[in-house]
Amino acid sequence: MAEETENRNGSAKSISIRSMNKYYGSFHALKDFSIEVEAGEFLVILGPSGCGKSTALRMIAGLESISSGELLIGDTNVTEVLPKYRDIAMVFQSYALYPHKTVAENIGFPLKMAKVPTNERHAAVQVAAEQVELHNHLDRFPSQLSGGQRQRVALARAIVRRPSVFLMDEPLSNLDAKLRGNMRAELKHMQSELGITTIYVTHDQIEAMTLANRVAIMKDGVIQQIGTPKEVYSDPVNLFVAGFMGLPPMNFINGTITAGKFLTSDAEIDASGIPDTKQATFGFRPEDCKVVAAGKGLIDANVYTVEMTGDQVLVTFDLRGGHLVVKMPKDFEIATGISAGITLDKNQAYFFDSEHGPRLHANQI
Amino acid sequence: MNEWIDRNMGRVFLAPAVTLILVFSIFPLVASLLLSFTRVRLSGGGFKIRFVGWKNFEKQFFGSEQFHLIGTFTEISVLGWIVGLAFTAVLLGWIIKYIRSHFTWVGFIGRMITFAMALGLCWLFSATLLSGNPFGTVGVTLFYVFVGCGIQFLIGTSLAFACSQRIMGKNAFRVIFFVPMMITPIGVGYIFRMMADTTKGPFADVWQWVGLGEFAWATNPWAARIFIVVADSWQWIPFVFIMMLAAFESVPRDLTEAAELDCAGPWQKFREIIWPHVLPIAATVMLIRAIEAFKIVDLPNIMTSGGPGIATESVSLQAYYAWRSLDLGAASAIAYILLFVTVVTCASFFNLVIHSRIRKQR
Amino acid sequence: MKTLHPKSGLFESRAIGEMALASRIILYTLLLGWSAFVLFPIYWLIITSFKNAATVNQGPYFLPWIDFQPSMHAWYELFVSDYEDTLRAYINSIIISLSATALSVLIGSMAAYALSRVHYAPNLITILFFVFLVALTWVSISAFDVDWRVALAVGVALFFFLARGVGRLHQIHLHNGDILFWIISQRILAPIVVVVPIYMMFQSVRLLDTHMALILTYCVVNMPIVVWLMFDFFNTIPRDLEESAQLDGATMFGTFREIVLPLSRAGLAATTLLVMILSWNEYLFALFLSTTKAQTMPILVAAMNAGERGILWWTMSVAIIIMILPVVLLAVILQKYISKGLLVGAVKG
Repeated sequence: MAEETENRNGSAKSISIRSMNKYYGSFHALKDFSIEVEAGEFLVILGPSGCGKSTALRMIAGLESISSGELLIGDTNVTEVLPKYRDIAMVFQSYALYPHKTVAENIGFPLKMAKVPTNERHAAVQVAAEQVELHNHLDRFPSQLSGGQRQRVALARAIVRRPSVFLMDEPLSNLDAKLRGNMRAELKHMQSELGITTIYVTHDQIEAMTLANRVAIMKDGVIQQIGTPKEVYSDPVNLFVAGFMGLPPMNFINGTITAGKFLTSDAEIDASGIPDTKQATFGFRPEDCKVVAAGKGLIDANVYTVEMTGDQVLVTFDLRGGHLVVKMPKDFEIATGISAGITLDKNQAYFFDSEHGPRLHANQI
Repeated sequence: MNEWIDRNMGRVFLAPAVTLILVFSIFPLVASLLLSFTRVRLSGGGFKIRFVGWKNFEKQFFGSEQFHLIGTFTEISVLGWIVGLAFTAVLLGWIIKYIRSHFTWVGFIGRMITFAMALGLCWLFSATLLSGNPFGTVGVTLFYVFVGCGIQFLIGTSLAFACSQRIMGKNAFRVIFFVPMMITPIGVGYIFRMMADTTKGPFADVWQWVGLGEFAWATNPWAARIFIVVADSWQWIPFVFIMMLAAFESVPRDLTEAAELDCAGPWQKFREIIWPHVLPIAATVMLIRAIEAFKIVDLPNIMTSGGPGIATESVSLQAYYAWRSLDLGAASAIAYILLFVTVVTCASFFNLVIHSRIRKQR
Repeated sequence: MKTLHPKSGLFESRAIGEMALASRIILYTLLLGWSAFVLFPIYWLIITSFKNAATVNQGPYFLPWIDFQPSMHAWYELFVSDYEDTLRAYINSIIISLSATALSVLIGSMAAYALSRVHYAPNLITILFFVFLVALTWVSISAFDVDWRVALAVGVALFFFLARGVGRLHQIHLHNGDILFWIISQRILAPIVVVVPIYMMFQSVRLLDTHMALILTYCVVNMPIVVWLMFDFFNTIPRDLEESAQLDGATMFGTFREIVLPLSRAGLAATTLLVMILSWNEYLFALFLSTTKAQTMPILVAAMNAGERGILWWTMSVAIIIMILPVVLLAVILQKYISKGLLVGAVKG
């Protein structure tokens, strides 16, 4: 962390967002959005589509007006400042390459707009292009490049003028799966190399987990939780975060909690220390549990289907119409249709108030 | 300064267009309305304007110019009564159906305006054409609009459909069919006068042979009108053609191929897949074409000077002649009548045909 | 016929998308027939221009060199002995239609761009006040002889009073669609409706029979078409590109020039062609607003009717040919854009 936040170019700036709101007419798209981003930090905003994450990013960029609240980049209040004076570079989901300009012209465009002398510009374009390994394609047009190359042109255009902030709006989502993995690593490397504060928007949790210093998870215009990837994964604050993080997602069973016991029609699970709740949800991650013989685990259910993914086997159970998934090692075998039990360690059980969503913690005794 | 321009770019970009339209379109529109209630006398480079109320309109509708604008009236013939009453019944039925289904005040008032004008035009039609009386410039203009646009639509669409098939020399046909659109209407007028010349024109021998050697187009009212519609169609079919061709070519290939796999014959394919797809575009194209057709002035002026008598005179041309005889008030009044008919017809078409279709699709 | 597939017949197609023989014959007959109908008048126009009084009046001759001896008589007359009038009208037409087209396309596409990118919400009440007060001021000046300074001052004062007071309280906001519709709907105005006041306006500022009068008029008359076509075209350009340029430090005008205009070349070309054709061919406004100095080609040609010897068809044909030539040339040059630009926008709209 310390190494990453170190500012190598002297240009990285912190970003303070203070109760930023966005209204479209009567629609409240972004509610009380507040984050402090440290200089040089890589922050990922993660959420399902339509949760307002792109709106937030566009407001930081200045492409959308801020209805209320404040936005500071470094020590300057930029709430009302035009995009071009914010010293921001943005990579769009579509890359937004100018189709009528060559790669070199595309990369050099920000410098041309800043009226940088031609010689300097050429040199800077060369450097940026080498950084993304495109120096052999400078005379081509975007339509002559592959998806990955276009992506790199967009990156080069963003880094060429050394902005104080990078904004990225799902930059990898138009690439195929394999390329996405490579680009993710490159992106991470480049960001830590340059040390530029980055805000990255995605709906892909793997990108979020691998890239971020911190992740902010959003839903319906509200930030649900901010924390390191590990924190949001292993210590989710509510039902939504728990269900959103993890692949396959967390298993949930609805029931009630009375006198330290989680009760459902199929099972009775120890929930000592958890306050009584009428509508409670019991959750556990597929990798935290095991398949055992029927009657030996916490819950019994019928095997619905078995999927082999290569390095592991996913066993799906049918429980009164709902599905429970268990991750087992790759040599595990079980027939569909038979009844089996699921067992798990008590420490890895999560309880939620299913009416309002928050996590229920054991009372500290 | 730069920052100010950047922030107010929206206004800076829109302002010139809005200003120009206000000065050269809205202001004259209002001024023209005021003029239509006045008598203007030109005196030594200036104007003397005197307010005369509805007189200009009265003269057009009921006074000495009635025959000119709307036609001559005598008794309505039996056929006239039948058609008039039948059409009135249809219109009434339509209004009653609307009132019963989903009533809104705006919709009702809009439909009442459409209703009133359709009724007026229907009885005008019954009282003049169907009763053997000559009709005026309004009737002539409507003839150009409805008959002309109808012909152009039919031929233009058929040609476009033919050209959207897999045929040889598609591009050549496309270019050839587009040519008349580029020719100045004045030129078209003269070219067609040459064509129709029964003694010196290219078809002179044909006319002699069928015994019409001495026939003069320009002296028979219906021949002259048809003659103008033919020239107008020659010029404007390319427009319909090129728009409809684009429409036919925008029909997704998947759809027609799926229909063929579902064993649809060519006719079914056209009716079920292609036609519904191009219909909204066709309606828009015809709206544009009708708007332009209402303005017709150059062809009648060049080809027949509105003659014989007033048989081919359009409303625009009548207003122009009024202006030429320095009756500015009458010119404005006639122009406003044209504007009213155009706006009501086109707005009705737009609201009842195009817009309702859009609403249904949503 | 040997190549026919065994199962195919006269009315049966042999593969998807292919036509039966009979329908193909009907189709080609139709298309060729229409081509003849389109081309023959033009052919007749061209050969007539090479005839003289004798070869025209003696009845129809169809084939040069076979039927009749072509003569350059008419061309000579128009280009050598009569060239002054023709040349002046020609130059007028070129100046007027080029300037009007350029102005119209520039201003119209700027407005279209703004409408497709910026959100407007003008208050209808304020607009109505404005229109009402302008009309009131104008009527009081022209009809009631109020001193124009007084009327203007009162009008402005009233406007600010009403707009700030009442306009703030009652707001009915219009949107981009309303503005767009308002601009496009101007096309419904027949020239005859507005031409008389325009005539009087230009007369009062002594601009009648000048290029300026026709340029401004044509520019406004064709603006709705430009706005309509370009609005649709601009909507097809992804916004990301402009936003990216904005972040990279371009001004809105810079974005328009560097990114938007180069990308809308096809639409611009098609629009330019259309507006150019319409301005070049315009007749009624020219009839009102020009007499001799600013006379355009259509007016000149139309006036050739008035000779004592009837219409001299051969000279007329030459005049028509040189009148339509520039438009045809322009269309040939811009041909590849027509289908791309005009149709995309138009068909979508």
